[in-house]
Amino acid sequence: MMRIMAVFLLLSVMPTLLLAQNRKISGTVTDENGKPVPEVSITIKSKSNGTKTDDAGRFTIDAQTGQTLVINSINHEVIELMVGEGNTVNAALKAKVNNLNDVVVVGYATQKKVNMTGSVATISAKQIEDRPVTNLSSSLAGLSSGVYVRQGSGQPGSDGASILIRGTGTLSSNAPLVVIDGIIGSMDAVNPLDVETISVLKDAASASIYGSLAANGVILITTKKGQRNKTTVTYNGIFSTTNPMNMPKYNSNYSRHMQMINEGTTNIGQPSIFAASTIRAWDSTSLIPDQLNAIGVPNRIAYPNTDWGDALFDNKVVQNHNISINGGSDKVNYLLSVGYLDNKGVMQNTGTKRYQIRANLDARVAKWLTMGTQTFASTQTYDMGNTASAFNFLGQTTPGVVPTYDGKYGFPHAQEESSTANAILAFLNNTAGSDRQSRFNTTLYAILNLYKGLTLESRFNYQIRFGEYNSHSVPQERWNFATNEVKTFPGDPSTFSTYYSFDKATQTTIDNVLRYTTKIGSDHDISALAGYNQMYSNSYNFNASKQGLIDYSITTLGSALLPTTTNGGESDFAMRSWFGRVNYAFRNKYLLEANLRYDGSSRFSPNTRWGLFPSVSAGWRIIDEKFMEGTKSWLSNLKIRGSWGKLGNNASGVYDWQSTYSTRLYSFNNVQSSGLAVGRIANPELQWETTTTTNFGLDGAILNNKLFFEFDLYQRLTDGILSTVPVPLTVGTASSPIVNAAEVKNNGYEITLGYRGKSGEFNYRVSGNYAYNTNEVTKYKGQLVEGYVTDATGAQVYQSNIGLVSAGGTNRILEGKKINEFRIYEVYKGSGTYNNADGTVNINGGPRDGMIRTPEDLAWAQAMITAGYRLLPSNAIRNNAIYYGDLIYADLNGDGQYGNSFDQKFTGTSTLPKYIFGFNAELSWKSFDLSMVWAGAAGFQYYWNDTYINSTVRNGFAFSNTVLDNHYFYNPLDAKDPRNNINAKYTRLKSSDPQNTALASDWWMQNGSWIKLKNLQIGYNIPEKLAKKMMMSRARVYVSGENLLMITKYPGLDPEIGAGIGYPTMRQYALGINVNF
Amino acid sequence: MKKLLLICSLPLILLGCKKTLLDTTPYDALASETMWTSDNLTDLGVTGIYNALRLGQNTGGASGLEIYQYDRFSFTGQTRDAEALLQGTITPGNGLFSSNWQNFYEGIVRANDAITNIPLKSPSSAVKKGKLIAEAKFLRAYYYFRLNQVFKGVPIYLAPFKIEEATKPRDTEQAVWDQVIKDLTDCINEPNLPNKYTKGNPGFGRVTKSAAYALRGKVYMYTQKWTEAVADFAKVKELGHSLFANYTLLFKEANEQSDEMIFSIQNTGVVNLGSTTQFFCGTRASFGSCWNTYLVSPNLVDLFENADGTKFNWETIIPGYSAMTPIARQVYFLRDGLTATERTAAAARGADMTKYLAVGNEARISKAWTGRDSRLAANVITPYGNYNGVLGAGNQTVTSRFPYRTINSPTFDLQTDTQTFFYYLHRKFVAEGNAETLNRAYGPIDLPLIRYADVLLMWAEALVELNNLPEAILKVNEVRARAGMPALQQTDPTKGTYVSNQSNLRDRVRDERRVEFPNEGINYFDELRWNTWKNTVFQAGNGSRQVWGANVNTYTYGGDYLNAWAIPQVEIERNPNLKQNPGWPN
Repeated sequence: MMRIMAVFLLLSVMPTLLLAQNRKISGTVTDENGKPVPEVSITIKSKSNGTKTDDAGRFTIDAQTGQTLVINSINHEVIELMVGEGNTVNAALKAKVNNLNDVVVVGYATQKKVNMTGSVATISAKQIEDRPVTNLSSSLAGLSSGVYVRQGSGQPGSDGASILIRGTGTLSSNAPLVVIDGIIGSMDAVNPLDVETISVLKDAASASIYGSLAANGVILITTKKGQRNKTTVTYNGIFSTTNPMNMPKYNSNYSRHMQMINEGTTNIGQPSIFAASTIRAWDSTSLIPDQLNAIGVPNRIAYPNTDWGDALFDNKVVQNHNISINGGSDKVNYLLSVGYLDNKGVMQNTGTKRYQIRANLDARVAKWLTMGTQTFASTQTYDMGNTASAFNFLGQTTPGVVPTYDGKYGFPHAQEESSTANAILAFLNNTAGSDRQSRFNTTLYAILNLYKGLTLESRFNYQIRFGEYNSHSVPQERWNFATNEVKTFPGDPSTFSTYYSFDKATQTTIDNVLRYTTKIGSDHDISALAGYNQMYSNSYNFNASKQGLIDYSITTLGSALLPTTTNGGESDFAMRSWFGRVNYAFRNKYLLEANLRYDGSSRFSPNTRWGLFPSVSAGWRIIDEKFMEGTKSWLSNLKIRGSWGKLGNNASGVYDWQSTYSTRLYSFNNVQSSGLAVGRIANPELQWETTTTTNFGLDGAILNNKLFFEFDLYQRLTDGILSTVPVPLTVGTASSPIVNAAEVKNNGYEITLGYRGKSGEFNYRVSGNYAYNTNEVTKYKGQLVEGYVTDATGAQVYQSNIGLVSAGGTNRILEGKKINEFRIYEVYKGSGTYNNADGTVNINGGPRDGMIRTPEDLAWAQAMITAGYRLLPSNAIRNNAIYYGDLIYADLNGDGQYGNSFDQKFTGTSTLPKYIFGFNAELSWKSFDLSMVWAGAAGFQYYWNDTYINSTVRNGFAFSNTVLDNHYFYNPLDAKDPRNNINAKYTRLKSSDPQNTALASDWWMQNGSWIKLKNLQIGYNIPEKLAKKMMMSRARVYVSGENLLMITKYPGLDPEIGAGIGYPTMRQYALGINVNF
Repeated sequence: MKKLLLICSLPLILLGCKKTLLDTTPYDALASETMWTSDNLTDLGVTGIYNALRLGQNTGGASGLEIYQYDRFSFTGQTRDAEALLQGTITPGNGLFSSNWQNFYEGIVRANDAITNIPLKSPSSAVKKGKLIAEAKFLRAYYYFRLNQVFKGVPIYLAPFKIEEATKPRDTEQAVWDQVIKDLTDCINEPNLPNKYTKGNPGFGRVTKSAAYALRGKVYMYTQKWTEAVADFAKVKELGHSLFANYTLLFKEANEQSDEMIFSIQNTGVVNLGSTTQFFCGTRASFGSCWNTYLVSPNLVDLFENADGTKFNWETIIPGYSAMTPIARQVYFLRDGLTATERTAAAARGADMTKYLAVGNEARISKAWTGRDSRLAANVITPYGNYNGVLGAGNQTVTSRFPYRTINSPTFDLQTDTQTFFYYLHRKFVAEGNAETLNRAYGPIDLPLIRYADVLLMWAEALVELNNLPEAILKVNEVRARAGMPALQQTDPTKGTYVSNQSNLRDRVRDERRVEFPNEGINYFDELRWNTWKNTVFQAGNGSRQVWGANVNTYTYGGDYLNAWAIPQVEIERNPNLKQNPGWPN
């Protein structure tokens, strides 16, 4: 390689030797921070000779005095310097601000940012690197406007974020299309450190080249390529400690727990469960926790007061190591990378390990032919801890159970305690085996230069994902440590089962794209492309289990005795598409683009499977107009954009247009027998769901590009939405047909605003984005008609067709409402005046917040019932019906029935945020740098009512501190009872809930808005000299933190996770190093 | 260059030219055009109708929809959880109504498909088609029967219909009964339908003529056509059905195909094909560590007669018992040798500890369950009664005691999910030891829907209504004799077995049904049919009870509207032609 370079240099230098006046000029090119910049081209103005800077930013060139050196680097502004008398010329570059030559990756092509007419957000590698996140998707939060990134779980391996681009436009799938180096794939498969750029295509004009796949937006990921004539080895290592960002807080005082259980049963007239003597035993022993009992067990184990939140979660370490080699020659360049992730999680036995490799290779085989590959593979293993069970049962245990002691799980010691009070850690450790997912993904491509400006690119991609799963139970014992007794036995191996499962998904894609670019005269830039694509995917699975092991540790299927289940299935899906695009620019001021895609999908019948998806867009760079000359002093950029287009969505099941009979088993004479019944009702008319988007945009910059902004306003209308609609129960249990049922309108706008500045050696860049989006179902199954009608007997009856025109339960689909808008009961709200002037009961005079708190409230409720109103569901005053500390529901339709099914109302809210926003900042000073990313969402509600929070008491179930500390109690016989708390927030404790406090009512609605500091990073670049001594060309050490701060009023675990309790997201503190050799 | 071009386009040639690329079909299901067009598919389609007998079965938790689980609404059974129907708080939106409606109509839709399409499409022999259509008609009749039992009038659909055609109004209760009788009569008239399958026949579990007679007889009971009912029950006997000799062993797997079984849900010890009774009626001491979700009511236990045919009376066991409060009576049910702590706790719970015997407390109460109808021991695990359970991997006899101490040595107490309460527990359909079932979620024992004892007692009931008391007594006595109980008689008024008049015999037949069928899903529907549900289940102070009679959940009678179930709220919204049963709140 050196030899080739030497020859090349010689050839380029030779002609200049002929000119006698030439002399050697040398210098160093540095950036704003004084760091050398390699690969900068140095040319002499209006001459052909030139050179490039080396790794140390140095160059040497032959020039004459008076000539001008043009110093040109991709990411910096061009500088021209006159050659003076000296032999040294040093240049300090200035980074390009709002780089007009920035190239943006778009579908099947790249475009200059200045020429963009659609709405595309870009994220660069720099914005996501050096973060201790464990996957690419969750690192995108807060970085671009209109992109809602929500991490719904912190469980290692399942912690990928869901991404919504411009809200929810449909009732079917809302997942955006992910395209990796031109091929449809999964974001989880990509190593974040391999990413070069990410483009988010938001409007129809930019996305419609992907036609029917693009209705929810497109995320284009480009991976890094090798660089010519330069070899870099990069090591990137991150160690981070993790702990849960928030934990559920359960009462850990068992004595109090028992008293509260008793309160719950006696409140409704049932006997106490826990004897006073048992409660006393805990009271007395908790004062002397380390005293040993008769058999030598300390009180804290014999009489436990377990804090399950604390017992369940640990601090662990995440390690992330990556090595990449990047280089190439004139003809070949390459990138090889290896990544390793070890994330142990914050709960026992829930970790994951991942290995990833990538090889990107690009070879110029001939002048007219370039060939190459992008190939990557990964394998990931998952620990077997059953978190679903652990969270499910987290509410079903009590402080009276020891998590573990002496390596054994605890069993309740209190005689009255439910034997089903669970040992939660046992769920995390009760399964052994191995779960593994592996991927292999390879693209081979060839680019032919057919004619000047005309190329043909042909791509072939094959990807396979397979999962291998094996699980079997681990024998576990549970002990009563106080008496040293086994309470739950492990069971005989003959009762144990072993389970194996395998699934495999493959996808084959062929892509052929013809591109042509030309310039007519100096005013007309034209480019066009046309392409063909086809894709076929297939997945199948197989699983079997057998019962009866010869030993706990022998778990192959062959060694087990009785077959219990054997299952398997297969499905496939294919698409075929033609597409094209024309771009036209006049004097780079007037920009036009048109796209067309024609898609066929196997998900529809031959008559309906083809769909046409066009788009047009235009841009006008006003800033370049003559009449704008006067504004140049302060306005540096101004462009308006507009686009219109149609996109499709075929997110139905793969065979939904075909009616089918599925297997339904029965047995005769103890012999299994196959049967068939209609599994799904068909809809042969099924066709494309179509999204039409109109977008208007404004880009600009002022103050010499220091302050820049982007604004987008859009409307999105999706019709023919693929959805199941409610069908009468009389039709049976077969799946409802998928139909093109609904229409949804989205409106929104997005703003990005940034500022970039410098003060001495202090550089900073801040940018914020903000997006508003709202949706409305504009067509579904008809209008809601509710109201009184006169029936045959002349009586007024209230009727509603809600079951016909609307689907769902607490969250519903209905014309004129938001998608999944809440429809809930309303808690009664009265004036607290009780009676009318004439002494009759005042129906508006009941308790102010709907909770019966005082004897007057209760008397009012009794008077209401006596007067013939029905306070549903109990409609009676007594301790096991309506009583002190219960809720009364409002009678919204005025039929005298308080809380019947017609008394539900729409709230105007859903769980989808109306506002999403992000803020990021980068600061640097000398060798130090600091960056942070904030993300947030607002304008949505959660219905938060689970066992964790409600007041229903059950023996063996946990109490939330939230409820215990602030629940209603009133002893009507003793006004001085110390337990009395009539102003409490939460309702009375009850062991059953006849008045249905748990009903979905506005009592339980919570604001879910949140802001999080997603990442904060402080880095230090080791001085070059020191780095060199250590054989490194560049080294950076940094500390980085994820999820450091959350600001929310939501009282539950984490509004980003959702309304319930799930695997918490992790707070990470990381130490990292980033080294180039 | 040509060579290279060829290489580049090779993938295109290999994969790009598949014309049928977009024509994909499901791998795991059959396209509807193909259905019924072969002999095999005809068989499979009919088996699919039988499968609807299993709808509503849930092996993750009790669905409340399986036939035996309806004993929770009956006089003889209860559940440990509060039930909206028994609290008087149930509304038409309750899943009980919608799930039953949907599941039974699914069975009807499948049967309609077969009845319409087999004649049109199936190439099977006429003999076979006749038999299969008769089976489909029986099953359709059964599903309509189940709907009509509770909803009392539902829309009748007799052919496949489209979604938008599901708009019929309700037919009357009588019209549905007429339709059920018509279908069952068609079965009876079908020459190719077997009378009865003998044990081990590969067809065992399929519909027979005897099943059609038995079900039609039951429908006649509903319509009070006593003579017709008697005739049908006589046919069942004529076709070869008889009582199995041993009541207890009747409910073991070995005898699930005895001549007593007329039609039963076929269970096999395979995932999704087995019984869940073990899971939801067993205890933590049962194989698989089960949930005692469903329980025996003390009402039933007290109803079992003494072995001599006299009524059971607590006063003869413990004088003064009836006058005490249920909570105070608790003392009699405590185990011997209570510790000081246990004594204090019992006193705190309200037990009258002055009556406690440190030795002999268990023996005193145990007399209550000895010398009784043998069906008590066959159905119920009573306090201080033994149960052949499982401890760890091995079998272990455990004893139901209170307060519970440990399932381990030394006491081997029977462990439940509800150990702070003391309940009567189910013995019927709960496995003994570890060898009777493979898994708690799929036991092998068939669950009878109609057995000959049911036929005999309905037969007796019809005869009572026809005022033919001597014949009726003979039928009852067959069932009593099998249980070892003395015969009812009209000759000796001094004996407990003396039948005084028609009304007395009517009550005795009803009680006989109550003690014969616990945990078989019969009593709730009987009480509804007799219009006695309010008086028995909601008798003053009744509830789900501990053994001494103290309520855990007290029942509240919502009103007479509860005797006919609510048409599901959501179905009325989707089909406004359906009218709600009177009295239901929304």
